Amino acid sequence: MDESLRIKTHPILGDYTKGKLVHFTYDGRDMTGYEGEPIAAALKAAGVMVHRYTAKRHTPRGIFCAIGRCTDCVMVVDGEPNVRTCMTMLKEGMKVETQYGVSSKPFADEKQ
Amino acid sequence: MKRYDLIIIGAGPSGLSAAIEAAKRGMKVIVFDENARPGGQLFKQIHKFFGSKEHKAKIRGFVIGRQLLGEAEKAGVEVRLSATVIGLYPDKEVVVREILEPEEGTAGETSAKEAVFHYKGDAIIVATGASENMVTFDGWTLPGVMGAGAAQTLMNLHGVRPGRKVLMLGSGNVGLVVSFQLLQAGCEVVALVDAAPRIGGYGVHAAKVARTGVPFYLSHTIKKAEGTDHVTGVTIAQVDSRFQFIEGTEKHFDVDTICVAVGLSPMSQLLKMAGCEMDNSGKGGGQIPVVDESGATSVPGIYAVGDVAGIEEASSAMIEGRMAGIRVAEYLGFDDKAGADTAFDQNEKALEGLRQGMFAPGNRGKKIEKTEEGIPVSENLLTHGFVADDEIERYPGVTHKAGVHPVMECTQNIPCNPCQDACPKHCISIGSNITSLPVVLKDSACIDCGMCVSSCPGQAIFLVNEDAGPGKATVTLPYEFLPLPEEGDEGYGLGRDGSRVCDAKVVRVRSSGAFDHTALVTIEVPAEYAMKARFFVKA
Repeated sequence: MDESLRIKTHPILGDYTKGKLVHFTYDGRDMTGYEGEPIAAALKAAGVMVHRYTAKRHTPRGIFCAIGRCTDCVMVVDGEPNVRTCMTMLKEGMKVETQYGVSSKPFADEKQ
Repeated sequence: MKRYDLIIIGAGPSGLSAAIEAAKRGMKVIVFDENARPGGQLFKQIHKFFGSKEHKAKIRGFVIGRQLLGEAEKAGVEVRLSATVIGLYPDKEVVVREILEPEEGTAGETSAKEAVFHYKGDAIIVATGASENMVTFDGWTLPGVMGAGAAQTLMNLHGVRPGRKVLMLGSGNVGLVVSFQLLQAGCEVVALVDAAPRIGGYGVHAAKVARTGVPFYLSHTIKKAEGTDHVTGVTIAQVDSRFQFIEGTEKHFDVDTICVAVGLSPMSQLLKMAGCEMDNSGKGGGQIPVVDESGATSVPGIYAVGDVAGIEEASSAMIEGRMAGIRVAEYLGFDDKAGADTAFDQNEKALEGLRQGMFAPGNRGKKIEKTEEGIPVSENLLTHGFVADDEIERYPGVTHKAGVHPVMECTQNIPCNPCQDACPKHCISIGSNITSLPVVLKDSACIDCGMCVSSCPGQAIFLVNEDAGPGKATVTLPYEFLPLPEEGDEGYGLGRDGSRVCDAKVVRVRSSGAFDHTALVTIEVPAEYAMKARFFVKA
C-alpha cells in the first residue's frame, strides 16, 4: 500500500480534528482508524475499495453516496450484516468484514 | 405523543433558517434530522458563497453553517439528530425513528437501539433537501464510481481523498466546485466531461479549474468504466446532438475514481404522503409540492422550503426558510401581520436579488448570447471552460492603465458583488443592479491591497502591473492550494487554458486573516504575458 489517502493539511480546512486512534479488523487484517469517523472513511484511507458483493450476480460494490441513501457500502460489522459503513462510526475493536450477499461467508465461486 | 408549535424536518440551511425565525418569535420548535450532524450539506461547502452581504456572500459555506447553528441555539431551537422522519400525515402528525442513546456498558455493540415516536405540530415545515442523480454506463456500479457529493463528504468532512486520479462527469456548479475541491485535496483531476454542448455552471467556477490545466470535454460522456473489482480506467467518447456516441472518438484515461455530478432530485416523498398537491412537470428538478411564496403547500399548516420545493442554491434555501418561519409564526398568532409583512418583504427582496442574471431559474437551459450590457458571451468559456485571450478584452472589468490595477475576468451576469465593497479606494463598481459586470473606475487609485482578489468567490480578479521594470510585468493571483509557493520560486505562468505560456518567478506571497485562506501569489512574467498568465506552477 502506497501513501494513505488521508489529507494531511487542507488549504482551507487546515488540520482535521479526529478522535483517538483505534484498532479494528477488516477481513481479519489489523487496521487503524479514528474513533468517530465513519467506518467507510477509515477503509477508504487504507485503500479498501470493495465493501460487498451482490447476492445475485456477485458483483462488487463500494462507497457510492456516502450519506446513507444507497446501501452500496453495507458490510458485516461485529457479525451483523447490512450495516451502512458510511453512517456507522468506527469504534475500538470493531470487526469489519466484506459482505457476500447477506453474509460474511464468501461465495463458493468467489476468489478470496 | 409530544406536541410542538412547529416541527421542522431537515436541519440543513433552509430548515435551520426557518427554525430560527419561528423560535425568535416565541414558538416551541423542534428540528429532526436523520444525520448525526446538523447543517445538511453546508459543512461540505468550503468555497466562498456568491451574492451580496445580505446573502452572506464571500463567506465559506461551512462558516455559514456554524453561524446558523449558533443562531439556532441562541433562539432556543431543539435539534434532534439521528432521527429519521418516516411518516407525515395531513393532520400534522409526524412519525420519527430515533436512535436511543446507548446504555452504559453496551460499548462495542454495533446495533443502536431504535424506537419509533409520534409527534404532533401545529405547523410542519418540510426541508428535506435533495439527493444526487445518477446516470448509468457500462461499469457504473464498480467501486470507485461515486456521486460528486460522496467525494465531497469524504474529503471535506472526513479528510480522506476519494482517490488519486479522478474523472468528473457533469459541468454544473456541483461538478465544477467539487473538481476544484478535489484539486485542493491533492487529487489529480484528469478531465471534466459533460454530454451537454455547453458548461452548465458559472463560468468563473469553470475558469478556476481550467487554469490549473484540467481539460474540459463537452459533448462527451462516459462509455465505460473499466476494471474487474474496482475502477482502473475510463473511456469517454463524443456524442452527437442526439446524444449518440460518435464512432472513433473514444479517449481513455487511467483513473481510480469517477465522480458523477448530474443534478439533484428533490426528496419530496413525505409531502406527497401528507396529501400535498404535487407538481410533476419536472421544472423543479423532479416532483415538487405546489407552494406559494411563503412555502405553504395545499395542506393548511404544512410548508416546504429549500431544495425539496425546487432545486436551487443554499443561499436561496436559507432565505426561503426564513420566509416560511416568519409566515408560520404569523399563521399561529405568534406575530402580527404588520410585523410579519415587514420581515417577509425584506427577505423576499433578498431572494429576488439572488434569482437574477443569466443563471436565474427562469433561464434554465436557455443559451444566452449576450450579457445584460450587450457584450457577446465568451463561446470558449462555455465550451472549454476559459475565456480565450482574444475575447477577454471586451469585458468592462478588463482595462489597462499604469501601475498596479485590478483586472476582473467576470464575464457573466451572476448575482454577486463583494468586490465592490472590498475595495477601500472604491476602484470597483457594480452599481445597484447586483448582476452587472464589475467596472474599474477610471480615476481610482489602486493601492495593491489585494482585498478584491480575495473577496471574489469566483477567483476571477487579478492585480496586474503591466510595467514592472524593463520588459517585466507582475500578476497577483488568488491561490487556494498547498503547498503555497514561496518568494523566489521559479516556474511557469499558465494561461487561462492551463497551458504553460511563459517562465514565471514568485516575487511576493501574501496570506492574512482578512483574505480568509485565499493566498495572494504575485508572479513576475515577461511584459507580453501580463494579460495571459493566470496561474503558477513551480518548476
